[in-house]
Amino acid sequence: MSDKFVRLSDLTLSYGKTVAVPNLDLDIVEGELIALLGPSGCGKTTTMRAIAGLLTPASGTIEIDGKDVTRLAANKRGIGLVFQSYALFPHLSAFENVAFGLRLQRMPEAEVRSRTQAGIATVGLTGFETRKPAEMSGGQQQRVALARSLVMDPKVLLLDEPLSNLDARLRLEMRSELQRVQKDTGVTMVFVTHDQSEALAMADRIVLMKDGKIEQLGTPSQLYAEPATAFAAEFMGFENIFRVEGENLVSDAGQLPLGFTAKAPMLAWRPGGVQVGHGPFSGRVLASNFAGAHREYVLDSQIGQIKADAPIETVEVPLGHNIEFDLPQSTARPLAA
Amino acid sequence: MRNLTTYIILGLTLTFLIGPFIIIIFAGASAGEALAFPPDGLSLKWYLKVFTIESFRDSFLLSMFLAIFGTVTALLLGVPAAYALNRYDLPGAETIRTIVAAPIIVPGIIVGLALLRYLVVPLDFTVTMALFMAHTALVLPYAVRVVSSSLNNLRADMEEAAVLLGCTRMQAFTKVVLPNIRGGVLAAFILGFVTSFNQVPVSLFLSGPGVKTLPIDMLAYMEITYDPSVAALSALLAFMSLTIVFVAERLLGFSRYV
Amino acid sequence: MFFNTREGLALALPAAFFALLLFILPVGILLSEAFQSDTGWTLQGYFDFFAKPLNRTVFLRTLKLGVLVAGTAAVIGYAAAFCIVNLSASARGRVFGLVVLPLMISPVARTYAWIVILGRTGIVNDTIVGLGLSDTPIRLLFTETAVFLGLLQLFMPLMIISLVSAMENIPRDVIPAARVLGANWLQVFFKVILPLTKEGLVVGGTLVFTGALTAYITPAILGGSKVLMLETLLYQRVNVSNDFVSASVIAMILIVMSFTANLLLKRIATARK
Repeated sequence: MSDKFVRLSDLTLSYGKTVAVPNLDLDIVEGELIALLGPSGCGKTTTMRAIAGLLTPASGTIEIDGKDVTRLAANKRGIGLVFQSYALFPHLSAFENVAFGLRLQRMPEAEVRSRTQAGIATVGLTGFETRKPAEMSGGQQQRVALARSLVMDPKVLLLDEPLSNLDARLRLEMRSELQRVQKDTGVTMVFVTHDQSEALAMADRIVLMKDGKIEQLGTPSQLYAEPATAFAAEFMGFENIFRVEGENLVSDAGQLPLGFTAKAPMLAWRPGGVQVGHGPFSGRVLASNFAGAHREYVLDSQIGQIKADAPIETVEVPLGHNIEFDLPQSTARPLAA
Repeated sequence: MRNLTTYIILGLTLTFLIGPFIIIIFAGASAGEALAFPPDGLSLKWYLKVFTIESFRDSFLLSMFLAIFGTVTALLLGVPAAYALNRYDLPGAETIRTIVAAPIIVPGIIVGLALLRYLVVPLDFTVTMALFMAHTALVLPYAVRVVSSSLNNLRADMEEAAVLLGCTRMQAFTKVVLPNIRGGVLAAFILGFVTSFNQVPVSLFLSGPGVKTLPIDMLAYMEITYDPSVAALSALLAFMSLTIVFVAERLLGFSRYV
Repeated sequence: MFFNTREGLALALPAAFFALLLFILPVGILLSEAFQSDTGWTLQGYFDFFAKPLNRTVFLRTLKLGVLVAGTAAVIGYAAAFCIVNLSASARGRVFGLVVLPLMISPVARTYAWIVILGRTGIVNDTIVGLGLSDTPIRLLFTETAVFLGLLQLFMPLMIISLVSAMENIPRDVIPAARVLGANWLQVFFKVILPLTKEGLVVGGTLVFTGALTAYITPAILGGSKVLMLETLLYQRVNVSNDFVSASVIAMILIVMSFTANLLLKRIATARK
């Protein structure tokens, strides 16, 4: 099992004069499901397209399974790519869409048929073979796109925002679908997303990207519990992020005295990590939202806005009234700048 | 690497399409006596000479007259027609559309000949009158089509809203519809103008002594003299057409309507 | 939607009547002359027409050039359109403008330039003689090639416009998808681009074909009486020989070809809706 199955070395990608991704180094393990996560413009899609061969790097190399593919044309890399828009061929039926790549290889018709049929079965679309893309729902189209790439037995399967076009229900379905397919086929899967919950749920490892660089690389639990920077923390759901200056917690709006010594330049708390109801600090309720299992408060305090979640059993404090709260050391996450 | 191929393909194609036009400009600027490229020396004398040739002046005026009034008439007929076809459920709408679009399908030379034989000769229409009708008929399809497309983009409930607010139909038309299709009408006018001005086949048979459109006049001149003045005139006309279209594009975003 | 039919008709009919009386009627009568003879309706006019070898040559030549021009325009047009579609937005606008530009210039001007290029003392001949490839200038004008070039230049913008419009409708990632699935560019063209731009090709092809068929100025200037096409033949028949029956026959042929092409166009355009 190669743990450098896909190697990006010192890769620089640019559009015209603008450098989108400077000097990227990344090793992808064979058979893993890895997510490129980040806000739009962070370079994740650019990196993916470069791996696929749709973008020529300005410098650096890309190796797949030991072979240098940097200058290799997109149609010779043996990679699968499921586009965000699915990019199904509108003039072909589902069957012909899935068979497209196989037919290009001039294999015997019988083999094309059996492999295509198998591919369609894998994604659960048996019976839909004759339908055209326009006659299928979004979820079905995506499965056709997936089957189309899978039947080619690709070395690496790339997926561009696979779940963002789907409604909530379908999203959960496809999530498990993708994971199942990956387990069954063992294909190395790289998917691009801006949704941290997706990345957390599906990936073996997450590459958090910002401005074309890797902000943090780790397992989902590592990124969730131990974000290293303010950006990472914010992206992974920490809301209350403040600077530490001496004994105080400081923001542009004001400050609060810290009850403990902090060793890091910044501290962050999840809304769920804020102690609500009693504590040394006080805040006025600006907003109060019912969120099922908890209540989400937005408080106005000396240090600015605090987002805090209270268990649903506690009594609701009305707008404009004050609540006591604490930012305890136990739930504080230290951050480097 | 693909960029190089793109440059080559587009470069060659554009040279093929536009090169001749550039050549004409310079051929007309020749200081010599004969038509040649590269020209023997540069001079504006042929460009200036063009303005002195009387028949060119007359035919220019005729072409202008036909282009302007023919297009205006075509619009006067075509705008209501486009409106009716678009906003009403007319019986035989398809037939009407086909009839009005017919002039584009029929080769111009046939139109000219037909009008000559059945309107000019037997009914004693003047040649100018026949030319006027022919040019109007020619522009009519463009007028209807461009204005129709403009109307399609204008939602019908705007007029209904105006009527509910108290307008009569006529007021609704002038206050709501017209201002909003102004761009389309202007675009149709310019398209019609250029089409009519550059039209040759229709005018071939309908020209007579003293009654020639400018392109016909140029053709006739070309048969006698081989000097650069035709090149100069062609270049000037081309500039005129281009300026009109360019200004239109700037003012209206002309390309939206075509 | 308004339902006052009378009102609507009142608005639409003037235009329709104008077109009918001043255009369709005269043209119709003209065309009917093709069927006339002393004994009533007959197709004799057509037989007589096609009996003469010159006429047959002209007819076939017109057809041939029409097809050649349309075909060449299609090949070059696809290449140019593909390049244009892949340009950046600003470059695309400019290049497209340059392509459309010739359409706004009088055909007389556009054709005239070819005289300068292909004439005895024109650019091409100067180069050929200058390079020593021939002792005397070659006759390039008044040949089918000259007419072909003139027509191609005249109508290619129409094909390009049509194809660019069709290509813009190809869903965004379909071509990269085909590439990633292993297709080389030839395969991408035949299996993806061509099927998806079929309509644009037909529209463009019809426009170019009809245009080439019914062109007058270009064959007149570049072909003269050595390379007659149907329209220049028609002119000759009327002006020189006063042969109106032939003229009507030719007119009828032109209209039928033009009309058929347009019908095809409409069929294809509405078939996919």
